[in-house]
Amino acid sequence: MFSLSYFLQQSMNGVILGCIYALLALGMTVVYGILRLINFAHGALITLGAFCMYFVFFRLGLPFIASMFLVLGFGGLMGLVLDFVAYRKLRGGPEVALLITSLGFYTFIENLTKLLVSPQPYAFKTPAFLATLYRTPFLTFRTIDVFIILSSLAIMFSFHLFVRRTKMGIAMRATSENLEIANLMGIEVNRVISVAFVLGSAIAAFTGFLWGAKYGQISYDMGFLTGVKAFVAVVVGGVGSIPGAMLGGFVLGLAEILSIAFLPTRFAEYRDGIVFAILILVLLVRPSGIMGMREEVRV
Amino acid sequence: MISLLRLEQVTVKYGVIPAVQELSLEVCEGQIVALLGANGAGKTTTLKTVVGVLRPAHGRILYDGRDITTLPAPQRVRMGICLVPEGRGIFNRLTVRENLLLGAYHRRDQGEVLRDLEEVYRLFPRLKERENQIAGTLSGGEQQMLAIGRGLMSRPKLMLLDEPSLGLAPLIVRELYALIQSIREKGVTILLVEQSAPMAIGVADYVYVLETGIVKISGTPKEVESLEEVKKVYLGG
Repeated sequence: MFSLSYFLQQSMNGVILGCIYALLALGMTVVYGILRLINFAHGALITLGAFCMYFVFFRLGLPFIASMFLVLGFGGLMGLVLDFVAYRKLRGGPEVALLITSLGFYTFIENLTKLLVSPQPYAFKTPAFLATLYRTPFLTFRTIDVFIILSSLAIMFSFHLFVRRTKMGIAMRATSENLEIANLMGIEVNRVISVAFVLGSAIAAFTGFLWGAKYGQISYDMGFLTGVKAFVAVVVGGVGSIPGAMLGGFVLGLAEILSIAFLPTRFAEYRDGIVFAILILVLLVRPSGIMGMREEVRV
Repeated sequence: MISLLRLEQVTVKYGVIPAVQELSLEVCEGQIVALLGANGAGKTTTLKTVVGVLRPAHGRILYDGRDITTLPAPQRVRMGICLVPEGRGIFNRLTVRENLLLGAYHRRDQGEVLRDLEEVYRLFPRLKERENQIAGTLSGGEQQMLAIGRGLMSRPKLMLLDEPSLGLAPLIVRELYALIQSIREKGVTILLVEQSAPMAIGVADYVYVLETGIVKISGTPKEVESLEEVKKVYLGG
């Protein structure tokens, strides 16, 4: 019953979902690394990005490439605004204040979207040129599947080069390890944090588009569970570790899809539960995540 | 002699508790000034205040003729003040090379930065050998060299060294002090904080002894060494 082609097909679906989680986890882990903030509002950027694409591409009919850059720019701008409006005043305050603020802003954006757009889900058509179907003996896929995998890999690779090779990227890793010493090096920590928010949020907004194009539906609350799962990916991979976040995303995406594909159908409704079960298992075996280093206690 | 750094009646508080009280001290260009004292005397607090991580509740800090009391740390770094923190404070997860480059973060003269990097490698050949190694894997002595090398990368005029000899073997401490003197010879002024006094007094031009946030004694090494209470408490005599 479970053929090789079925396995391959489901693995590909897992990888695609993994790409989406990995992209989101990237932005979350960088912000968490520096501020120790679990940024729930990151999830709201998925929703905003998806609706932004819906309006500029489908309603306004802008060209695809232009729409994509608009979505990236809009996401980045929202990240900057969020940092300024929500978090900057709380620097140096208790971490729990940041956490609650991020939940508050998530709720605010979600409800604002619901109010401005609709409480009903929107159908999100895959752009025509990404909808072509290909059949091979083992796999059936659409252009969008290839697009998601390639664009995700490109973003992850660029991000990797950014944190390894550029001055700002190295400063970001340094700030994430020790904020006070980074300050002593003459690094303007607030600027580093803004850059982290802008990049992470732009990527999250783009992910919102990928989500819509792949699954065909967007809604005001699509960001919540997705955002939470992205954070699970961060923890599974090892908090604060950038390669860890990407790995965590793929582990989670594959596990989620393969478990519903191979478990008896009555377990399908537990797919979210399975994700959290993986989290608990990983934390039991490796409390600091797959690639995490032991956290030094901050004084 | 030209005054490079002057603290005037500086008081620094943690909450309501003063860590340093009405501290006045002066460091002249080209000098090595030692700041001695037991744990909790306020030495590290003083250095952090000079570099701008802590703000004084009262008093003024003058550097190079300018009042820098309210300037944020990154700006002071650009003006040539550099703190080599206690316990090295290197970035453990970054490579040796990345650590060194971060020392020059505020500089825009890329070519000069690379030249200075070679200069640091010439000074510390061990760091060159370990260029691409993660800094957390270095030995204590190497980490201290890295911290100092990183400080030099900022082209400091004033280098603040916070207990550089802490946790190092005596032989390495001797090497370190030779290095501190050669850094001074390059024209860098040094404010040196230590608990172990003999070595520090040996290289210093002027000595301050702090006790619970107050300058208890100050003078040239000769004057200070001859004092009975310094002998008893700090020189193990």
